[in-house]
Amino acid sequence: MTNLSLGSRIHYLIAAILGLFLAFAYFAVAPKGLDLRLGLLLGLILALFALTLWTSYRILHAIDRLASNLQLAAQGNLDQRITRIKKGAATERLSWALNDLLDQQEAYFREVFSAFDHASRGQTYRLAMDQGLHGAFKDAMTRINVSVESLGQVQQMALKEKLVARVTDLNSGNLIQNLRSIQDYLLSMTKELGTVGDLSRETAGEADASRITIEGIVADLNRVAEMVASTNAQIEHIHEKSTEITQIVQVITEVADRTNLLALNAAIEAAHAGEVGKGFAVVAEEVRTLSENTKDAAATIAATIESFGQATSRMLADSQEVKEITETSRATVTAFSGSVRRFAESARTSFQQVSRAQDVSFASLVKVDHFLFKQNGYRVVNQGMDSPEARAVQADHRGCRLGQWYYQGQGAELFARVPSYARLEAPHAQVHSHIHQAVTLLGQRWQSDPEVQAKVVAQFEQAERASEEVVAIIDRMVDERHHTRV
Amino acid sequence: MSPRPDPTQQERMLAEDDFIVSKTDPKGIITYGNRIFIAISGYSEEELLGSPHNILRHPDMPRAVFKLLWDTLQARQEINAYVKNLAKDGSFYWVFANITPSLDRRGEVIGYYSVRRKPRPEAVQTVAALYRTMLDAERKAGDGQAGMKASLAILNRTLEEKGMGYDEFVLGL
Repeated sequence: MTNLSLGSRIHYLIAAILGLFLAFAYFAVAPKGLDLRLGLLLGLILALFALTLWTSYRILHAIDRLASNLQLAAQGNLDQRITRIKKGAATERLSWALNDLLDQQEAYFREVFSAFDHASRGQTYRLAMDQGLHGAFKDAMTRINVSVESLGQVQQMALKEKLVARVTDLNSGNLIQNLRSIQDYLLSMTKELGTVGDLSRETAGEADASRITIEGIVADLNRVAEMVASTNAQIEHIHEKSTEITQIVQVITEVADRTNLLALNAAIEAAHAGEVGKGFAVVAEEVRTLSENTKDAAATIAATIESFGQATSRMLADSQEVKEITETSRATVTAFSGSVRRFAESARTSFQQVSRAQDVSFASLVKVDHFLFKQNGYRVVNQGMDSPEARAVQADHRGCRLGQWYYQGQGAELFARVPSYARLEAPHAQVHSHIHQAVTLLGQRWQSDPEVQAKVVAQFEQAERASEEVVAIIDRMVDERHHTRV
Repeated sequence: MSPRPDPTQQERMLAEDDFIVSKTDPKGIITYGNRIFIAISGYSEEELLGSPHNILRHPDMPRAVFKLLWDTLQARQEINAYVKNLAKDGSFYWVFANITPSLDRRGEVIGYYSVRRKPRPEAVQTVAALYRTMLDAERKAGDGQAGMKASLAILNRTLEEKGMGYDEFVLGL
């Protein structure tokens, strides 16, 4: 019996009652025969049986319909309803109650779906409408709207974060490229500055050499001027003496003239004396000849002295000119020597500035290398552990470009003696250690674990702090190298 | 079906806690109505089943609203709209309708599910004024495509002024 449906059970029951009734009727009727009243009664009872059977069939059919509807609803199909419900039928209330329940459920689910669907697209204005829902449906809807609102906010935030992440990624990608171009630029600038530095060092050396040469020239010129002055004095002296000689020659000429006149008078007196005076006349003639010769010699001397005087006058004029030229040259060369000195000074200054600029650009270059390393660390967040960025940040603080510069390259060569040099190692090693730890954490399930995310951020923050120190120390190294030298 | 009743100024009101539920097939033929629907529309269940949903259409409703409604549903989106309905006895009742398409497993539309709630009276005032201007535009243009265009233009201008989409606008009323 337990396996039979309700309908079958009722039918069997009715059939059993009918059988019992027919058996009872047979035993009631058989001994006496059928009289009219008993017949009518039996007929009536049979008719009632038939009606009961029909009604139970109808009810059972309706219940069947309800049951299959409920079955569908239990399977999550809320679409079907009972229609064409007879007014006053036994199952009228049951049917409408089932319809109402399905209406409530379907309206509830559709509202919830619509609201979440909109919220997931960031449209928070579409809340689930609870109007017309009753009891638990209404209460649940009120609570669901709280979730919808927060989902909407989360969605908007997620959208915002997505944009921020995309933009940041774009930015950092470009930043790396930009840094690389600056790196190239700094590298070529450093090279050029090296050339300029060599040139300016040469220039400063040459300018110094020129200065020394020119100072020698000035000294020589001074000596020339002195010599010209002394020669001049001597020439003037000679000129004076020649004037004296001319006067003496005049005196000699006058003496010779007088002697000539005396000799002539002596000759006349000798002629008067005749034969006696003959010997005297010869002496007088000799004296006259001697005076003539003296006069001639004096004239020759005078002529010589005169030409001599002309020569000394010319020499004097010439040496005056030489003196003036020398003075002018000395002034010019002295002025030139001043400009060469200033030029040498500025060449030295510009050599120092270029050398500082070269150091600054070198320092900038290693800073850029360092920034690139950090940027690659950040890029791992979006690019993942298999990216080239993840491989790039594997370098330790000795293997990275800054490390190579520091331990083997120009950093060691140029800066090893400044006090800050030794201080760079520790913070630089820290930057690497923190970035490595951050990247290791990124290898875990950080996407869904806020704790890991917090650790990642903390590592990046510590890396940034150490990095700030690295940059400050590099700046100090450049300052120290140049303050001690300048 | 009996001819459409003449409208009267008699208004029927939905109760605050009730909603009208009806279902139609993809062509808009009514396949189910709840008891609230039967009571407020004045039709019997027998009369409603098998009839097109537009037996409830009130002449004060602009056609553009129904076009928008059907266009949205055919795009498989839900639609929310304020609607003035006509009861069998000529009286009217305002509802705030939410209609969603019912899809089968393959995503095909197998019918529409409509829940209609009691609207806020202030919202009805705003919407009634908007519908009047839309209806005027439709009548002036002689009820053709031009009328529909003019009517939709009025709706779009209103939305533009508010800086909202249609959904945000009706849900915010």
